[in-house]
Amino acid sequence: MTSFIKETESIKEAVTFINAIDVNKFSRLISRITQKLHLKGERTFSEEEEEKLQSALSLDKQALNLVLETAAFILEQAVYYNVKPTSLQQQLEAVHLNPEKAEVFSLTWAAAGPELVEKLKHNTFAPKKLEYVGWQLNLQMAQSSQARLKSPSAVLQLGLHDDNSEVQENVFLGFNHQELLHFYNQLETVQSQLDTLT
Amino acid sequence: MSLSHAKDSSFLGGRIPPEIDSMSKNLKDVDQEMFRKILKAVVSGLEGKDCSEVMKSIAESSTVPQERLSHVVAGVYRLLSEAIRVPASSLKQEAFREDLRELRIPEEFITDFSSVVFGNRRAALDAATARNDPHLPTVEDFKWRVDVAISTSSLARSLQPSVLMQMKLSDGSLHRFEVPVSKFQELRYNVALILKEMNDLEKRNILKIQD
Repeated sequence: MTSFIKETESIKEAVTFINAIDVNKFSRLISRITQKLHLKGERTFSEEEEEKLQSALSLDKQALNLVLETAAFILEQAVYYNVKPTSLQQQLEAVHLNPEKAEVFSLTWAAAGPELVEKLKHNTFAPKKLEYVGWQLNLQMAQSSQARLKSPSAVLQLGLHDDNSEVQENVFLGFNHQELLHFYNQLETVQSQLDTLT
Repeated sequence: MSLSHAKDSSFLGGRIPPEIDSMSKNLKDVDQEMFRKILKAVVSGLEGKDCSEVMKSIAESSTVPQERLSHVVAGVYRLLSEAIRVPASSLKQEAFREDLRELRIPEEFITDFSSVVFGNRRAALDAATARNDPHLPTVEDFKWRVDVAISTSSLARSLQPSVLMQMKLSDGSLHRFEVPVSKFQELRYNVALILKEMNDLEKRNILKIQD
């Protein structure tokens, strides 16, 4: 496949810095970045950690930023195209990353890649997502307009999670036997549609 | 006013509500035509319709003083409300008529009352009164979609299915949310489980408690 890493000025500069880093330290760095890649909007390293990294890797703030962003970019592209580890290694050597560093990338990718792809497949953005299903079955004995009922009634609790707020919104639904059966039949129709996809 | 000590207590319970008591006393001034008008208006009121116009015309066209008329209306309303509260299966027509005879209600009026309580409009009446009872929102409209994400900003080839649901509830609220496939399975499983429990419950002895 065509390379997804173009040798831009920025890449060249990053490669120079990366090649100078000790390989063991680099290996740990890449592992950490890979673990946090699927979390949108979260910093991989805290301010404090970044300062420590600067001295550990002998890089100034700007250089460190470039290295971290480039490494993340490489991994994101790897995920996006779902490249094979060997292809990744070749592409990195093609932009003059030294072989031992390229190998670090491809080994980490081989190990963590498939799981990362799975996680990202489930990273959808919808206004709300169903996260919790709870229920209660009651036997209603009476109400204002009716005495001596004895009718089963179910309460279904749907916990909806909104990505933007951390709060879970609870929706409570009431069903009698007939209504619940009707709902179940509708769910069965959805299931049969899902079945046609596999 | 002494009551049924000879048979099981009346559908009204141990004590006669005062409105019904005073209605019986005032019924002798009301002719059947007037009574039927009142009955019809009260049924319409129980169904939730506005009957102020009808009531006004009844009051104007009657020779009975308004205060006595209002006792009758209140009594008819109370009697009917209590009668329809009891499930249709537990209140037998003969017992009902007997209870009304004990209240010294004229026989023709008893027949009119019976036709409301045991007639074919009873189901509609029950549904109308049940509407005002407190209950959790029910699903009025349920729409869904099965989507497959072909690619996303993170993955050129995602091919991940998901379900989108939209529920319009009886309280007017609208909820639209995504359901990951695994959660959908969980929802479906749980609904099936509740249905099974409901079936078991309906078969058990607790439902055979004698009324």
